Amino acid sequence: MTTSQHTVNHRPPTDQEVLREITGMLAAVLDEYGLADTEVTMATRFTEDLELESIDLVTLSGRLQERWGDHINFAEFIAGMELDEIIGLTVGRLVDYVVNQLQNAARG
Amino acid sequence: MAFLDLGGLRRHVQRLAPQDGGPPAATVVLVHGLLTDSLASYYFTLGPALATAGLDVLMYDQRGHGRTARPATGYRLEHFVDDLAALLDGLDLTGPVHLVGNSFGGTVAFGLAARRPARVASILAIESEPASRSWAAKLDGILRHAEHELVRETTLAWVAEQRGAHTARLARSAGRLLAQTSLAREIPASRLPGGAELRSISCPVLAVYGTDSDLAHQAAWLDGLLPDCRTTFVPGQEHSVLVEAPYTVRKLTLSWLHECGVRLREPAHAPLPTGRELEDSAR
Repeated sequence: MTTSQHTVNHRPPTDQEVLREITGMLAAVLDEYGLADTEVTMATRFTEDLELESIDLVTLSGRLQERWGDHINFAEFIAGMELDEIIGLTVGRLVDYVVNQLQNAARG
Repeated sequence: MAFLDLGGLRRHVQRLAPQDGGPPAATVVLVHGLLTDSLASYYFTLGPALATAGLDVLMYDQRGHGRTARPATGYRLEHFVDDLAALLDGLDLTGPVHLVGNSFGGTVAFGLAARRPARVASILAIESEPASRSWAAKLDGILRHAEHELVRETTLAWVAEQRGAHTARLARSAGRLLAQTSLAREIPASRLPGGAELRSISCPVLAVYGTDSDLAHQAAWLDGLLPDCRTTFVPGQEHSVLVEAPYTVRKLTLSWLHECGVRLREPAHAPLPTGRELEDSAR
């Protein structure tokens, strides 16, 4: 399920569309615990609010790449961050990164 | 790549290719520690920097940990060493690879080097030691204690208060691992390599310890035991050197690989900002 077509030939997705997709991925990553009643917003923090373990972030990174291909490189995205920063990471910051990457890809 | 079925065990593997798309300067395998550890400790610290430096970086979750399968039994050291050997075979990594091992991950690395010296080009052991009788006795104490404590809500609440929600969640996961498997009883029952076997580890070894760690006193013993070993200390650190001082570990690893003859690619080999590292390692 590659999506280079989606990203290159069509308009890149909006913040809200990416947020919705990432929320779906989070529900899958957390299937053992579920998202319960937690509403995922741009301000939601992965570890503090959703209780993701660092290994869950690795799984999420795999899903991001499956969905949007090599445009999205989570390892690279977090490479410059310190661990505290990674732990405090918000969903919004990831959404922004994804939207930016896909816009750049669409511009070719 | 995410999952590999090898030897009846479904393993979670993450491999980063050299970032510049060029041929790998060498392969480095990153081996994590017990209980609260997983490949994430490398994925978020050392892994990307090594890929930037032109290396083929292999990270995997050890049995029972992270997203690798969790059989109920089979947790002696030799099982973990078998897993590493099977992974290298399964990926056709037949030449010698550089190993980085954190804590128990280093013990696994020493185990492979003692068993199959030709497969190991070098070992960087972070807060680690080869298996020995005193190692087994110490692990027995730690694991018994952890098995008892990490399922108690009062302990987990204390961890959350002292070390934050993320560490508490890792501790809860570790409690589940101990409750669901025989790991706590099997690790101390591991087959221990003899002195001659350990002395046969002829590859270069760099052992890194935190100055404030309980393991720091191992340095002199290890130096004397292994033919080609040197030790170094990270000031102000205890056992969690890898996650607490990632910049320092990154710098040590890159200069270690360079010393081992790996031709690292720019710009990662350029000196890192030392002010930040010193600040970081002193935290």
